Amino acid sequence: MKERKSKSGSRRDFVKTAGRLLLAAPVLTLPVILSGKSDAKGYVWQIDPYKCTSCELCRTSCVMTPSAVKCTNAFPMCGYCDFCPGYLRQGAKAFNTAAENQLCPTGAIIRKFVEEPYFEYTIDETLCDGCSKCVKGCADFGNGSLYLQIMHNLCVNCNQCAIARKCPSDAVIRVPATEPYMRKELKKS
Amino acid sequence: MKKLRRLKKYIPYFIFVLLFIWHSVLYAQQQRFPRPEFEGGYTFPTHQFLNQRAPMWEYMDVAVLVGALMVTAWIALKKRSRQGLVWISLFSLAYFGFYRQGCICAIGSVQNMSLALFNDSYSIPLPALLFFIIPLIFALLFGRVFCAGVCPLGAIQELTGFKQVRVPKSVEMVLAVIPFVYLGLAVLFAATQSQFLICRYDPFVGIFRLDAPYTMIIFGSLLLIVGIFVNRPYCRYLCPYGVLQNIFSRFSVKHVTISPAECRDCRLCESGCPYDAILQSDPAPDVEKPKQSFKGSIIYFLMIPVLAAAFAVILYNFAPSLSVMNNNVKLAREIRLEKEEGIKAVSKAAVAFYESGKTEDELFEEERQIIGRFRKGAPWVGIFLGLSLGIGLFRLTIRKIRTFYEPDRGRCYSCGKCFKFCPVKIKT
Amino acid sequence: MKFSEKDIRIFKGISLVSGIFTLVIAVTMIFSLIQLKMISPLDSPSLQSVKEQFDRDPDNRDKAEQVRAIDLMARKAYFSSRWQVETGSYLLLAGAIIFVLFQQLVAGSEKPGRSLRPDKPDIDAERIKNRRYLVISAGAVTIVAVISSFVLRKELPAPGRSSVIAETTEQHAVIAEAIQLSDVNYPFFRGEGSRGIAGGTGFATEWNGTEGKNIKWKIALPRPGKSSPVIWGNKLFITGAGNGEFVVYCIDKNTGEILWTGAGSGFPGSSSEEPESDAEAGMAVPTAAVSENEVCAIFGNGNLVCFDHDGKLKWGKNIGVPMVTYAFSSSLLISDKLLFVQYDSQDKRSLSGFDLNTGEQKWETPRSDRAVNSSPVLATFDGQLQVLINGNPNVSSYDPVDGKELWSLPGVSGDVATSLAVNSKMVYAVSDYYKLNALKPGRNGSTVWEDNTFTPDVSSPVANDRYLFVTTGSGDAACYNAETGDTLWSHYFENPFYASTIIADNKVWMLDRSGIMHIVEAGGILKIISSSPIGENTDCTPAFSEKKIYIRGRENLYCISEN
Repeated sequence: MKERKSKSGSRRDFVKTAGRLLLAAPVLTLPVILSGKSDAKGYVWQIDPYKCTSCELCRTSCVMTPSAVKCTNAFPMCGYCDFCPGYLRQGAKAFNTAAENQLCPTGAIIRKFVEEPYFEYTIDETLCDGCSKCVKGCADFGNGSLYLQIMHNLCVNCNQCAIARKCPSDAVIRVPATEPYMRKELKKS
Repeated sequence: MKKLRRLKKYIPYFIFVLLFIWHSVLYAQQQRFPRPEFEGGYTFPTHQFLNQRAPMWEYMDVAVLVGALMVTAWIALKKRSRQGLVWISLFSLAYFGFYRQGCICAIGSVQNMSLALFNDSYSIPLPALLFFIIPLIFALLFGRVFCAGVCPLGAIQELTGFKQVRVPKSVEMVLAVIPFVYLGLAVLFAATQSQFLICRYDPFVGIFRLDAPYTMIIFGSLLLIVGIFVNRPYCRYLCPYGVLQNIFSRFSVKHVTISPAECRDCRLCESGCPYDAILQSDPAPDVEKPKQSFKGSIIYFLMIPVLAAAFAVILYNFAPSLSVMNNNVKLAREIRLEKEEGIKAVSKAAVAFYESGKTEDELFEEERQIIGRFRKGAPWVGIFLGLSLGIGLFRLTIRKIRTFYEPDRGRCYSCGKCFKFCPVKIKT
Repeated sequence: MKFSEKDIRIFKGISLVSGIFTLVIAVTMIFSLIQLKMISPLDSPSLQSVKEQFDRDPDNRDKAEQVRAIDLMARKAYFSSRWQVETGSYLLLAGAIIFVLFQQLVAGSEKPGRSLRPDKPDIDAERIKNRRYLVISAGAVTIVAVISSFVLRKELPAPGRSSVIAETTEQHAVIAEAIQLSDVNYPFFRGEGSRGIAGGTGFATEWNGTEGKNIKWKIALPRPGKSSPVIWGNKLFITGAGNGEFVVYCIDKNTGEILWTGAGSGFPGSSSEEPESDAEAGMAVPTAAVSENEVCAIFGNGNLVCFDHDGKLKWGKNIGVPMVTYAFSSSLLISDKLLFVQYDSQDKRSLSGFDLNTGEQKWETPRSDRAVNSSPVLATFDGQLQVLINGNPNVSSYDPVDGKELWSLPGVSGDVATSLAVNSKMVYAVSDYYKLNALKPGRNGSTVWEDNTFTPDVSSPVANDRYLFVTTGSGDAACYNAETGDTLWSHYFENPFYASTIIADNKVWMLDRSGIMHIVEAGGILKIISSSPIGENTDCTPAFSEKKIYIRGRENLYCISEN
């Protein structure tokens, strides 16, 4: 009886060692296989402004509340219009800061007089919830200088961005962490 | 000059009026209004585009991971202190959970691995690769110490599991199949660039961030409430990385033991494990009939390849249905429905597709390729499922002579709850 | 750590209270979260309705104040639920930590329940059961595999499904005759097929509207419009609208006498609504279409009418009031007893085919692109007659028999108001501030060349197989090599062009907004033949028939011919 026990014991040991090697081998070779395909710097998520269709999903899809997506203005592209289609709602009767004329649901756009006839539009990111109403207005009627970006001080960099999954135009993409923003005035479509 | 500038004010209106007249419409991502020429020396405001913390810090996370794994292994295997494991769990929950907000995590890294292995366009971030490999190496050395004290998802469940309700063995066996399926599908979906299933249904990341879609929070809270009674529900019945840990841990060099010294077969620890991961002693019976049992087991052993083949066929057949999880395939189906049956494609994706100027043929070709990839990958997932199920069931049919109580190396989380049930003490 | 029983009881109480607290906070937080994600602050119906009231009555200060008050309230509510979520999450965390801590203390001081189970389970019996499970599951899985193989075989999609297309091409052979140019009939906007090419020769090149030189006749049209004249036989048809009236005029093309006036409203099913439109454009922008026995017209409110050539109403209907920011402008087309209507509204874009005799809608194909002001074009490619639309952002082609989309290619976006130019091989789409896009048509088509130097905003380009001519809103005219896109010549004519350019009698006829017709040779080298003024502003496209040119000015309709 003792003999049999030791025999089965040694067989078990053999299986164990074999299994151990079998599992260790791929795990240890993985880094070798992927050595050419790994990236020390990693990725972050960003919105390609030229693919974005301002569908409003950024506001609701982000895991953060409010969304880490904020509107930003590409000043070199901005027309500084008095009649800003990103600031004023459609059918606005007067071009001023009155509540009844504003498009932004959270009042996040700041309109500032620069000089006759120009107005500067900046975004208060603490108020902006990334709804993209202004982006749509500017893209449809203006120069398209207002655009959405994922703000990396707010983004928690999910392994898969929840917005990317929902984005209808595949505009949310991985970009190298060293260049985390896609600034519209610098990129061409 | 001044007059001209005054006139400029009306340029936008003028252009608008032009557009109004007769033929005219909306829409263009173009420079409709000329860039203003400012007189008063206006300069563009500079917008601060803030960056995430430097990538360097990710390596800090890796260092913390290694450190925490070593400490856990030492506490579990050498110190045998349940209290110590609770403390390291707390630390991991605080660091990987609440401070690092649940991303980067070893469970999710499975998908990054799969995506990188099967797609040339994606190169895996080095920290993700390390987060995948290091816990597995530790599992091979010391068992599931990662689950015991380092994984934040495990920690939050470990700390909230106060009551211990035993799950009937048959239910446990059926539920334990889910993680295998989950892992197989997650790898398949990641490899086909469809989606990261594990991240999508991560229950606790919302709690770590104190913010999430409410569905996620509801799911997480429910799991925690269930977990008060049925401990570690996510680890046992869902966690796909746990499957790998399970397999690796079975062959671990060293492992936590219930008894600090020799087991006396006193049966006191039988009720000590909430996960039913204690293997009972089963000494050799007096009467032997070894020949017959060997002959019988050959037939059962043959069931393993049968299961693997059958699952491969099933998964292959279901590949087109599974591919619906891919957004492009979903879109292509919608567009085809519109074309062939006149059901209007109204989803935002369809609208964006029409705007993008991509042709339907391109889309259908893409769909065909994705389904092709699913067809290629799905049988392997099937083989994996069949083998796992077959081997798992087969192991239950053969008898292993055991004269002592020991943890089931695959399913034991090295949580140390059983320590206090063992009456054997080492005199110091 | 050892605690007395009393301590433990207190701990239990504390953890119970904190547990309930956590639960309550969790529930309220989930509601706040749902609210935050689902509700946009300015979408509240009460605010919307007050805003609408204000829009109708913009001078009412009280209403403005009301809007502001409700607006402020809505935003306050939004930000307070944001605050609730933020603070709530910290409260939740605190509650949970207390709960867990005390539960741990309670659990830690409980003695291990060292209850022995009555008996060791019968391991052998279990093993036998498991054997059975193994065999059963293997069998079941195999059966599922076999069944799924049969059931799911057909799941394999065959992209493209070319069989459907093959069937319809046969049908087309019947109507796929090439469009022939008549020197009498000029049935649509921009002539036969709406392609900008007119038949016939011998048109006058020199005239002067104020002096009366070469002006055969001139009549004042009672109702204005931006629609262009169309001609069948000896009859010329043109539409007008104003003062709530929508009319179709039938005019003797030789004398200028108004033969009959048909009403485009007041029939059963018509609409008397006049949707908001640009004042200058009005309700009569789309050009009528005429066939052997019928003339059809559409107006800015969606009234669609069909008369016979004697002015008897065959049928009339309203196809929906198009909601466009400026004015509805897509002209009509007829082919093989079907009337094609390109409908562009903010709520719907489609192409429909109506039975010419009964007005019954035979088919309607929704178009998913954005609203445009272009008009459809008839052309034949690969032996297939097709209706082409310059959409935004795609150029699309439809089967005139059943309306099925044949192909769709990326075209132009922006302000798409011009119609397509076509020749036997190519399609040219253009929009201002965007680009000129030359496409090889078909399912496997693509952009051949593009350019953005000369981009018309309103005036549609025209092409033959060698050249493409464009006239722009800034007063430029240019000629491109139709195949390669090289600019062969360009000339600045000073006045902007709105009327579409026409090729007739081997000449290019370019009518500017001030009423001057610039006539150049249809060739790759610029040869200006003449520039003749009509004497009043013009936006409408001229019509050509039997050595006569018909031009609609702001007020008058002119017939020009060599005396």
